[in-house]
Amino acid sequence: MKSKLNKKKECQFCSENTNPDYKDPKTLYNFVNYYMKIIGKKRTGVCSWHQRKLTTAIKRARKMALIGFTHK
Amino acid sequence: MLQFFMSKTKPSGLIHYEILFIIPNKFTDDEAKDIFKKVGQLITSLEGKITLENYWGKKKFAYPIKHENYGYYGLFEFDLERTLISEINTKLRLDNNILRFLIIKKDVKNEEQIKKDQKIRAKIEDKKAKVQEEKEEKEKKIKKATKKITSKKDEDKKIDLKNLEEKLDDVLNIDNLL
Repeated sequence: MKSKLNKKKECQFCSENTNPDYKDPKTLYNFVNYYMKIIGKKRTGVCSWHQRKLTTAIKRARKMALIGFTHK
Repeated sequence: MLQFFMSKTKPSGLIHYEILFIIPNKFTDDEAKDIFKKVGQLITSLEGKITLENYWGKKKFAYPIKHENYGYYGLFEFDLERTLISEINTKLRLDNNILRFLIIKKDVKNEEQIKKDQKIRAKIEDKKAKVQEEKEEKEKKIKKATKKITSKKDEDKKIDLKNLEEKLDDVLNIDNLL
């Protein structure tokens, strides 16, 4: 049996040809935990080039109160 | 040339910036719009070119800032000399009418890059359409196969019943028994 982690997933941003943007929190919520922690790329399947852009985008959105630092 | 590389001051040039700022909730909507326009005037006074302006209006925060849950958002995109961005930074930081702001550099795409992106997006859409067609065909095939099986079963049952009746008649015939 292969576990789900070993399966290769496609990067969402590569397949749609978009870049992570700090101004749309809806997509950013997909890459954040229930506790608002950033999920690793091993679980979400994002490529490392886009993961670096994603972390900066999430941190910028947190600063401008578009995404919370913690859950309520 | 060496001095140019060694010098700490960077060469001047236009850079594309983006700024997002929050106006506190104590103002009304009209007053907030005036403050939004004043920020635009600040940029144009430093000979910056505004390429995009967007007033988001009142929005709810994800977490309270200074005991308030709502604020007005404003967005600008502009080209400015890289040495002058520090002036905007200091002026907005000392301004009491602005709660928070964020200035970032933004890449500008060439016409070639935009054409490339459009081609890639068209390819992706074609792929998605193909995958959907294949899915629909598979579903149709499965439906046909299931229909055939069910229809065959019904015919078999009918034939079986007819045969049974004939057989029963044969068996029940007294002539055959004797």
